[in-house]
Amino acid sequence: MNDPAPSQDAFESALAARTAPLHTGSKSTRVLGVLALVLLVSLLAFALVITPPEVSQRDSFRLLYLHVPSAIVSLYVAFAITLVGSIIYLRKQSVFWDLLAGAAAEVGVLFLGITLVTGMLWGKPTWGVYWQWDPRLTSTAVSFVLYAGYLAVRKLDMDPVVRSRRAAVLGIVSFLNLIIVRYSVQWWRGLHQGQTFDVADTQMDGVMLFTALLGVITMHVVFAWLVIHRFRVAWLEHQADEAGLDVALRERRAEGANV
Amino acid sequence: MGWEYVIPGYLIAAVAIGGYTLQMLRRGRALSARVPEERRRFLAEKADKT
Amino acid sequence: MSDQDSFDQYDADQDDAGLDLTPVDPGRGDTRKGRSWRNILIVGTLVLVLGAVLFQALTSARVFFYNVDEAIEQRDDIGDRRFRIQGTVVDEPAAGDDGTIVFTIAHNDARATVRHIGEEPTELFELGIPVVAEGRWDGREFESSQLLVKHSESYVADNEGRDGVGDGTYEVDGSEVGLP
Repeated sequence: MNDPAPSQDAFESALAARTAPLHTGSKSTRVLGVLALVLLVSLLAFALVITPPEVSQRDSFRLLYLHVPSAIVSLYVAFAITLVGSIIYLRKQSVFWDLLAGAAAEVGVLFLGITLVTGMLWGKPTWGVYWQWDPRLTSTAVSFVLYAGYLAVRKLDMDPVVRSRRAAVLGIVSFLNLIIVRYSVQWWRGLHQGQTFDVADTQMDGVMLFTALLGVITMHVVFAWLVIHRFRVAWLEHQADEAGLDVALRERRAEGANV
Repeated sequence: MGWEYVIPGYLIAAVAIGGYTLQMLRRGRALSARVPEERRRFLAEKADKT
Repeated sequence: MSDQDSFDQYDADQDDAGLDLTPVDPGRGDTRKGRSWRNILIVGTLVLVLGAVLFQALTSARVFFYNVDEAIEQRDDIGDRRFRIQGTVVDEPAAGDDGTIVFTIAHNDARATVRHIGEEPTELFELGIPVVAEGRWDGREFESSQLLVKHSESYVADNEGRDGVGDGTYEVDGSEVGLP
């Protein structure tokens, strides 16, 4: 743990700036980031200004341009990545897939939270209640708790390998509940309407459908940008824990105890 | 009708995504400074091994 | 106290960057009593929250959910149990005395009169809209205490010249009501 001389330090960081910068950005994420911002601004324009109000829900319908895309991204994309990452981690102990599973789950929980909040705000003026223990609402709430639990398990203080393995098991088990979320509107009666995007026939008018699809694309791009950055942060955390600080810390603490 | 629900909904989403992004980028910067240059990126690490 | 002294000296010598360098005995491995309590607390909280959500859901699921025709068929079996009834409003709702709303709902050619006493439904409530009412049979009438508007998955733009209301888009989807 010899600290390098200041001049050497400065030289090293100048060198690092060329190869690995002191942040989690890169050329590709900057392109993706600009694209995400452009899409976000156009989504806001379409969702809040250009589209007409819905015939019966009026303006509260605009919440669905956020609600449906966030739900699709979190439930179908983010947690699917977590599932795949968890399975591969359990089979191959790949750090990459473990970290990617965690990164996708974290952004997925964020999007699922947005799904729940926008859904509740839409439900009040439409149904008459913010919340009802309807099959789809309940199974979605269960998903939120399960994946929040997955994130909490990843932060538990224990042996990193055991922790990753337990998280992976939870990442797989939690996905089973998503099947219930998906089919809840068909299996049971409830308040929630059916699939908004049915491949066979979508019951939505032109510009509204366009805005909804724009929302889905936008949220996917935002998600991709967030997950890449989150993965890089997770990678840095892993490096800081595994290779560097944790080992050094244990050594120094052991030194201290031997005095 | 309904703007009193729409505006909080979009605001909450914006604050959630924006706040999350900011703290994530900040954490990325802080950690980058603590991790040796050759270990900062997953791809660089992989290139080393091959 | 010697531990503490050596620690202070140690701390003064080198910059520990604010890290926890409190000496621990490596022989006993990680003595992390406090931290394991933290783990138990986190996992316990999650299990409790999950349990509460499932409990709420199952309690709510015990209230049966019938379509109008089924509710009429099984009227004798249901007795005065609370249940949810689903149907489409087929006549102009009338405001009764002391804030009650009286209207007729129908499903599969079966009709029932609903007398709603309680919080007013949302502005979407009108002729042609599917609703879910919670309450019980009061003779031939359904006495509702919670009246929710069920929205279908068809969304119609409010374009100029379109007479949106009552254009037949508010049918209760067969796939949603097909299973008990």
